[in-house]
Amino acid sequence: MAYNKDLETREVQATWDVTTYQYKLDGRGAKVLADGMKEKTIRGIKCPQCGRVYVPGPTYCRVCYIDIDDVVDCSDEGVVMSYCIEMADVRGNPMDEHRVSAMIKFDGADTWFIGTVHGIDPMDVKIGMKVKAIWKDVTEGNLGDIQRFEPV
Amino acid sequence: MQRKVAVVAQKQINSADVGMPRERMLYELVKSLYEEVGISRDDIDTFVLCSNDFNAGHTISNVFEDCPVGAYMKDETKVEADGVWAATYALARILSGLYETALVVGNSQGGSVMRPYLMMDYQLAPVYDRQLGLLNELSAAGLQAHAFLAKKGLTPDTLDEIAARNLADAAKNPDAFNGKAGASAADVAATDMLYEPLRKGHCYPFTDGACALLIASEEKAKKLTDRPAWIRGVGDSIDTYYPERDVVDVKSVKLAGERAAAMAGIGLKDLDLVELSAKFAHQEPILLEGLGLPADGGAASVSPSGGAFGAYAFNAAGLVRIAECFKQLTGSAGDTQVEGAGYALAHGQDGLCMQHNAVMIMSSEEG
Amino acid sequence: MIMSNVAIAGVGYTPVFVSKRKDVNIAEMISESVATALENTGLTPDDIDAVTFGNMQTFEGLNMPHLWSAEHILAVDKPTIRISTGGTTGMSTLQAAYYYVASGLYDIVMAVSWEKQSEGDSQVGLAGIVMPEAMVMVQHGLDLFGGGGLSAMGGGSTGAASFQAMSYLHHSGADPEHIDKMAALERSNAALNPYAHLRKKTSVEDIQATPFIAWPLRFGHTCPTSDGATTCIVMSEEKVRKMTDGNVAWITGLGSATSDPSTANFLEGQLTDPAEQEPARIASAKAYKMAGIKDPSRELDMAEMYNGFAHQSLMWLEKLGCCKEGEAHKLLDAGALNIDGEIPTNASGGVFSTNAIGASAMNRPAECALQIMGKIEGGHKIPKKIRKAVSHGWGGMFQYVTVMVLADEPMKS
Repeated sequence: MAYNKDLETREVQATWDVTTYQYKLDGRGAKVLADGMKEKTIRGIKCPQCGRVYVPGPTYCRVCYIDIDDVVDCSDEGVVMSYCIEMADVRGNPMDEHRVSAMIKFDGADTWFIGTVHGIDPMDVKIGMKVKAIWKDVTEGNLGDIQRFEPV
Repeated sequence: MQRKVAVVAQKQINSADVGMPRERMLYELVKSLYEEVGISRDDIDTFVLCSNDFNAGHTISNVFEDCPVGAYMKDETKVEADGVWAATYALARILSGLYETALVVGNSQGGSVMRPYLMMDYQLAPVYDRQLGLLNELSAAGLQAHAFLAKKGLTPDTLDEIAARNLADAAKNPDAFNGKAGASAADVAATDMLYEPLRKGHCYPFTDGACALLIASEEKAKKLTDRPAWIRGVGDSIDTYYPERDVVDVKSVKLAGERAAAMAGIGLKDLDLVELSAKFAHQEPILLEGLGLPADGGAASVSPSGGAFGAYAFNAAGLVRIAECFKQLTGSAGDTQVEGAGYALAHGQDGLCMQHNAVMIMSSEEG
Repeated sequence: MIMSNVAIAGVGYTPVFVSKRKDVNIAEMISESVATALENTGLTPDDIDAVTFGNMQTFEGLNMPHLWSAEHILAVDKPTIRISTGGTTGMSTLQAAYYYVASGLYDIVMAVSWEKQSEGDSQVGLAGIVMPEAMVMVQHGLDLFGGGGLSAMGGGSTGAASFQAMSYLHHSGADPEHIDKMAALERSNAALNPYAHLRKKTSVEDIQATPFIAWPLRFGHTCPTSDGATTCIVMSEEKVRKMTDGNVAWITGLGSATSDPSTANFLEGQLTDPAEQEPARIASAKAYKMAGIKDPSRELDMAEMYNGFAHQSLMWLEKLGCCKEGEAHKLLDAGALNIDGEIPTNASGGVFSTNAIGASAMNRPAECALQIMGKIEGGHKIPKKIRKAVSHGWGGMFQYVTVMVLADEPMKS
């Protein structure tokens, strides 16, 4: 029993096809959020017990373990909680244009939301920086309505 | 066993299509258990989840299951097998002395989310059986059924009768969904032939389901309930991969039963009931024979809940068998109640043609 | 209350951990580590009472592969259980073996963990964690390949790890250069370890020459994908006395904890900072209490961390109480994390240098056990007596942590 790097076994193919599943997922929080975007509003769900505001909102509070359904509006401004500067694509190829992906906590929310930050040199982005959502001129009620974030 | 451990409460949900995401299904199920027992998620020392990435269609299936069962910021682990193994692991965790309470939760949505028989396709040896594409869960079960009937000199009528009895029993069990009141052998014989000799009526139903069991140490169990069911013995054993073994005289069933009985200090003939995960009709007599019981169970009632015919959600199924034993031993089994049930055995299986079998023996008395 | 003492009596690795084992199939590869574990402990298959088994099954597309490989893992006719918890699988499998023995149900249990990543697609496997959730967000207008989608997630886990690294740097006061330095240290440690995958002495400059994936993380900060298997033999105290020379590593503390699936919770709002890792505190506090460790920063002799990315060793040292918050990089600068330092960290090279993912979280306590027993093969043997060691596993979707404390002496009953 030793490693024989010259010995080759035969290779055969098989797949795991996730398209054979009919997944059921809770879509309420995402819909509340997307619908609100038509009105250029960030909508989350608030837990009446601990006061945490989830964006998008689940059907129950993970901490308090109770059902939640209080829809609340949050600001479309928020704080950069963390970020990275994308320099390679998903396949690992270098990107010509670097892009800032950030995790943003909207004012009035307790969860992190992902978006890109423009209008600033990527190396100048800082954690704790205030940013605001830049909306499309004509919103459609989907997550694409936020074009990007920019520093306040 | 170095401590006494009991099942304190059970909750189960079984349906052809539960109509909820698994996260919501788990949340509602487990929350109802907490409310019934009068505890909160803070009272659970360790969570043992039981699910399978292929069943869930999610890599690391417990990632989105831990919060719905209340495990946020809590001790948690996952067993990827039938529920009897998860309950066995929870038992081991409490026996270790490090935990007083464990919540075991198994689930899958084989009724509405995944393609029927999918999980077995991915269980095939990747370098041969999967490439050939001849074997699947049904064809393997069909081969096993033929082997069984031939060896015993029986006809498929036997399978019809077994299925009918289970389906009729399941109709009396409010936790089962696939029952058929007064089902007859003729009813089963009229169902579609799938893989000869197996008809649709001989097979377990595709099920969305989940089952939660609260397991606790002696001290804690007595505080939580007046009527616990005591875990007295566990045993499991694995056979070689299909088809390199005798699929009629299943050694792993025999070994699992013997191990659990030795631990419990009883003979298997002392059992008042057995709850079997016979996914196909012919597997019931195979299991009974493996356990050393007569074909009609003898003194033991056989799957009074309707067994795997009433509902069979992968990963949850073995927990449901334990839950049904719990109901019987605590006198809360309603129309399916076996009078004076003192000892019960729950069975779970994995693999093609019952390659891997596990049993748990429980009693109404502390012992 | 601990009812009985439990030890790791021996470890078996595959002969190598490499990117592609072409000479063996999965079952054959796993059997190598099983046979080696038996050989190293002088046990026969009949001595084994039960088997615990784990890997990440969707990586190779095999459902419950212990069924197919039952004979190769010498499980036939024995109790066998399959455990899988993502990146932590290896340690979860070992913890199951611990509980099986500590429960009194079994005396000698074999814990088997492995991955053959060359036979699958780990990116597909990782994407499978959140794919359905991401698709719902796509239905609501998420641009999967835009700034909010998969590319920020790194198409797997690198993007999310970048958020974690940045948050860690911000809160700890460490510089990006510290990540380079930690990477160089661990790669150089790995060069001494015959069972490591990436075995090349590496300088800080070598790391800094690699391109960025997502600042602050470079290619040189990421782990490889490996083929390999690890088996541990876990024994009760009674059997240790009867069947070994007593040179074993005792499992004196353990724990696991989970939070919310933070970094990928597209549908339900990410509640926790991926660099916060409260589960690491919860699990380690429990393990230390059990092990009678009051001040881990003084009592521990070594640490083996689960670090898919180079910044994580520093982060985990803090989260596991091996030093104060924000001090890990100072220990690094002071040489305390070196093999001959005060708290040698990932002397093995870590997951960062060897990542057969299902086995990765078992290799951490296995390395601690070998160091305690003085049975390390290779130049990464720590040149001091190891009495207490902490090992750590990390996985799920950034939210799940396992901890195991090992020691050269059992707990007094």
